[in-house]
Amino acid sequence: MAIGFLLERFEEAGTRPAIVWRDQTYSYDSLVERIAYWQKRLSQEGVTKGTVTVLEADFSPEAVALMLALIERGCIIVPLTAAVEQKKPEFIRIASGQKAFVLDKNDHVEIIPLGYPGEHELYDKLRKRGHAGLVLFSSGTTGKSKAILHDMIRLLKKYQTPRHDFVTLAFLLFDHIAGIDTLFYCLSNKSCLVTLEERSPDAVCRAIERYKVEVLPVSATFINLLIYSEAYKRYDLSSLKYIAYGSEVMLQSTLDKCAKLFPDVIILQKYGTTEVGTLRSKSRSSDSLWVKLGGEGFETRVVDGVLQIKAHSAMMGYLNAPSPFTRDGWFITGDRVEQDGDYYRIHGRACDIINVGGEKVSPTEVEDFIQTLDNIAEVVVYGERNNITGNIVCADVSLVKKEDSRQCITRIKKACYMHLQPWKVPVKINIVENIDLSERFKKVRRRTNESGSVACETTQS
Amino acid sequence: MIDKDKIVSALYEAIDEINEFRPQGQRLEKALDTRLFGAGGVLDSIGLVSFIVAVEQRIAEVFGTSITLADERALSQRNSPFRSIGSLADYISKLLGEVSGVPSTHGTG
Repeated sequence: MAIGFLLERFEEAGTRPAIVWRDQTYSYDSLVERIAYWQKRLSQEGVTKGTVTVLEADFSPEAVALMLALIERGCIIVPLTAAVEQKKPEFIRIASGQKAFVLDKNDHVEIIPLGYPGEHELYDKLRKRGHAGLVLFSSGTTGKSKAILHDMIRLLKKYQTPRHDFVTLAFLLFDHIAGIDTLFYCLSNKSCLVTLEERSPDAVCRAIERYKVEVLPVSATFINLLIYSEAYKRYDLSSLKYIAYGSEVMLQSTLDKCAKLFPDVIILQKYGTTEVGTLRSKSRSSDSLWVKLGGEGFETRVVDGVLQIKAHSAMMGYLNAPSPFTRDGWFITGDRVEQDGDYYRIHGRACDIINVGGEKVSPTEVEDFIQTLDNIAEVVVYGERNNITGNIVCADVSLVKKEDSRQCITRIKKACYMHLQPWKVPVKINIVENIDLSERFKKVRRRTNESGSVACETTQS
Repeated sequence: MIDKDKIVSALYEAIDEINEFRPQGQRLEKALDTRLFGAGGVLDSIGLVSFIVAVEQRIAEVFGTSITLADERALSQRNSPFRSIGSLADYISKLLGEVSGVPSTHGTG
């Protein structure tokens, strides 16, 4: 059985809480019951092995039961959340979806035929293995979204080793590799997954207080939102044991503030990409950006300053793009890293580097400095084309309190000139209301030098 | 009519702005014959870019018109508009004149 090891653990867990959804707790027993219901129902509905099934849902008891039943049936699952609402028709077409299971706000399921044939040569390969599949989409903020096909059975393998049991918040999304990782990590360790109706700092803190959440997996940007919203002051967060951050580069200044605010919490960096899944990781310390990466089934190496990963659980391929693997099977992440023995420090996307008259500028270095200045809520640094130096450095800055724009820009520039080399100082600074965040709570960085590079469009999870 | 004095004062404001960030001895003087870039110029390429962006912003504020100074056209002029404050003021006047369709009031030499 594909999910046999999970069902065994669910039975051991019995009446323990599996999912908190809309302030109601659902036990592992009830989850087992719903999985059995869905297995029967799938058979009645004529959903056969290898069917491409779109699962329009967020974390909920039915969504989880249905996903597990679909895995057991050997289906190819395409989870989609409201975050990608506008792209749904396109994603369904790319995935060649045959049937959709659409969950409404009350967790009722509607089954809709989609009319696509469910054909792709990678699907054929998967069906020959007799394995269930998982299709995830890259966020596509830099261009076309890529459809990433995983062999679900290989992906699940790493959860067979029992690990720690912690009450965990389902902050990351249901259709995102990091959200999927949170889900299976919890289920395989008989833990309680606390779901959210909204992902604001206050809603997150309220859920932590109410359900004594121990693990908070979030994006680096969310930690910044949490800090300057001061939501942490309004709730009792003493149950928190771990904050796990990933998805994008964490600024040292933000990490320092977070470590100071939560001295009893262990702050961990997670790393993964939609293409290879989430690696096991270990931060050197709560306030360190150096992280050990690997774990069973993963190898890492650095080529030309860029991290490459070989993973047993790597995707089978893109449904709508050529293979990004090297001939010997390594995945080029596109993330620039520094190496110190077993530890890596991730510096951001190689394609985000701004080339100013031949001098290379790392946006995160500039962001990291500006973030330390007074009254700065968020900052995002990016390049803009320029006829004299090729590119110039620009920054969008949002403020905590209102301040005269011109004075503020002068203040930031002056500080930058004192501390950074001249070519790193933003030539243009825009004071903005809010920094654009993607549906996945990542900062949206404008890019000038994509040139269709594969490395630029792969997604760190 | 395009008022060249207004252009020059916008340029001087841009000079004030960038001088704030420049060390003593490397500051730009507010004069029409101040050499900007090239032979005898005080700006390097990064300095020139910062100055141009500051000028573009001031011009947009004063005239309500966005102009791009460092484009292909500027770079292909027989005499670089970035030689001096005076040549830059002339070039801006020409660009603004084209946008509004009116000639400038007087030359700066």
